[in-house]
Amino acid sequence: MDPFLTSRIMSDVLSGVTNGVIYGLVALSLVLVWRCTGILNFAQGAMPMFATYLGMVIFSSHLGYWACVAISMGAGFAIGGVTERVLVRHLYGKPELNPIVVMVGFLIVLEGVAAAIWSTQPRSFPNPFSTIDWQLGGKPIALSDFSVYKIVTAVIVMTAVAVLFRFTKLGLQLRASALAPEVSRLLGVRVSRMLTLGWVLSMGVGTITTVLVASNFFTGLTPQVMDGVFAFGFIAAAVGGLDSPVGAIISGLCIGVTLQFVGDYLNSNAILLVALAILIVSLMIRPNGLFTKSSARRV
Amino acid sequence: MNLLFERRRTILTVSAIVLAVAIAALAASTTRDAVAISVAIALVIAGIAAITSKDVRATHPVFTRAALTVTIVVASLVGTFYFSPTTNFNLAIGAAMSIVLLGLSFLTGASGQISLGNGAFMGVGALIMAIWANHHATTPIAITLLIAVAGGAVTGLLLGLPATRLRGPYLAGMTLAFAFAFTAIVNSFSSWTGGDAGLQLPNAATPPHWLVSLFTSPTSLFATNTMWLTDITIVVTGVAFFLMANLFSSRMGRAMRLIRDNDVAAELVGVALPRARVIAFIVSSAYAALGGALWTLINNSVSPPTYSFALSITILSLLVIGGIGTIPGAIIGGIIYAYSASVISWITSQTGLNPQGNFASQLNGIIFGGLLILTMLFAPMGIAGAVRRLWMRRHARSSP
Repeated sequence: MDPFLTSRIMSDVLSGVTNGVIYGLVALSLVLVWRCTGILNFAQGAMPMFATYLGMVIFSSHLGYWACVAISMGAGFAIGGVTERVLVRHLYGKPELNPIVVMVGFLIVLEGVAAAIWSTQPRSFPNPFSTIDWQLGGKPIALSDFSVYKIVTAVIVMTAVAVLFRFTKLGLQLRASALAPEVSRLLGVRVSRMLTLGWVLSMGVGTITTVLVASNFFTGLTPQVMDGVFAFGFIAAAVGGLDSPVGAIISGLCIGVTLQFVGDYLNSNAILLVALAILIVSLMIRPNGLFTKSSARRV
Repeated sequence: MNLLFERRRTILTVSAIVLAVAIAALAASTTRDAVAISVAIALVIAGIAAITSKDVRATHPVFTRAALTVTIVVASLVGTFYFSPTTNFNLAIGAAMSIVLLGLSFLTGASGQISLGNGAFMGVGALIMAIWANHHATTPIAITLLIAVAGGAVTGLLLGLPATRLRGPYLAGMTLAFAFAFTAIVNSFSSWTGGDAGLQLPNAATPPHWLVSLFTSPTSLFATNTMWLTDITIVVTGVAFFLMANLFSSRMGRAMRLIRDNDVAAELVGVALPRARVIAFIVSSAYAALGGALWTLINNSVSPPTYSFALSITILSLLVIGGIGTIPGAIIGGIIYAYSASVISWITSQTGLNPQGNFASQLNGIIFGGLLILTMLFAPMGIAGAVRRLWMRRHARSSP
């Protein structure tokens, strides 16, 4: 058993899972917004990035990691709610192009403003977990306290979202107002509030993800820290299907593991190429994602 | 031609040309200069006469577009003789950008698809231009440009095939992934592409001898290659705009607009949806590649990091601000691009910001992003659309 756990294949799988849960979380937050409001949020990386910076500023006055995370989360919820009320509200029912363009614009404004205030230099977001790999019989396993922290947090968040949507009245109202807003309104659901709540929830998931990414000692927090993660997260969401939270998480994990193998056995340039190829091939086979029920329009 | 039958108009036009030629002949120092200037003035006046005539506009749309193109191209060419090298350079860069915008305008405005990866398609054209020129230095510029366009079209086909079945957000995300992957592609084939450092063209484009000898003082007229390169760019831009203007109003263009407005109806009246979508994608990426190839020509080199995701976003912003789906919108976007750097440095100096500071270096992104949001929310058809609406309103009021 020893040689297997410390083997190259196993270490790729473990590192892949550690990255994959992050892609899965980003994909999940994209799916939440898409399911609740029918908008693909291209600023899904930038908005939590901004929230995390707000938490960081407080951190500089030595409040400690967990206080910082809490403040970032609060800021994330607030940014999600305010954005939905002020910006996104004008985009419902418009042509597909409008929300895409506006959210892309919001993405560059947020990244620009963050860089203007806090500069593009990476800031470290020290966390209480060690990044040193665990040892097994003198050999390292590709797992550390930090990666276990990432995986456990991701599992908790995913479970919480699943419980909320499956087993609570609030989750039912959220699903109902996305599926049939008119009927829900007649039945007494405050649809407008549900739309806002969808963005708030999604931004909560996004902020946790960004905190996990930015806590990494080697990359730290930069205005563009989420760009690459967002791209992989989007690929995961598109492959799994923008309608399917389960699909988002599974394909996030699969993509994380696959890309880890590609990076290890080929080279780092091949990672993006393979990711693009996965996206193109899977969209050619199932344009609406692998995990959604087919819904082609026919007249 | 109806133009000839409008007698008063014809007499006026001819006398204007004769007068202008006479003035040119008196003012110019040599016969050759006089001939060149006269031809230019005559073309411009004849073009204006043709396109301002309602009859001609109504009955000969292709001729009108040709006349308009020739008028603007000739006027710009004359302008390049008098502009400073810096102005010429900006003009060329902006003109090449307007070609890219026109391609995206066709894709987005006519067929309702969206691409966030046109910066990368530009990069494809720019690299093919440089690679080909490095291996076959003797190929004429026109041929090399066409090869770059073909390369862009093939790339568009490869990415466009899945696009046939994709709806807006998926397609946008796929082109975004392509924009991110472009850098990786460049670095994977760095023996060809030169990696991040890029490539130099083997020799700078110089004006042909017969053209230089046409003018008396080549040193002053063709003093800089910049002017010659600008002239090439302007002519290519003119051709690209003329072709696209015809495409917009062709059967194909009408089918594309129907797809944008109602794809189900388009299918019912017999438009082959997948084929039309692929064609729109190919045209758009071929135009982007042409713009990129011209940038390589103008800069005499190619630097792959230029063609980043940020450039794709800038392209989208310029198009939205100029006006999606309109030809003037693409021109306005090109002009904005040519002068955005100087305007932003002017703002920096006026507001007393530190030019090397954090804020000044981010100003470009913040302004473009902000304008992108505001335009989309308050004037979704951009500057061109807003102007057209004002014009229509005034026209409706004045005419019975």
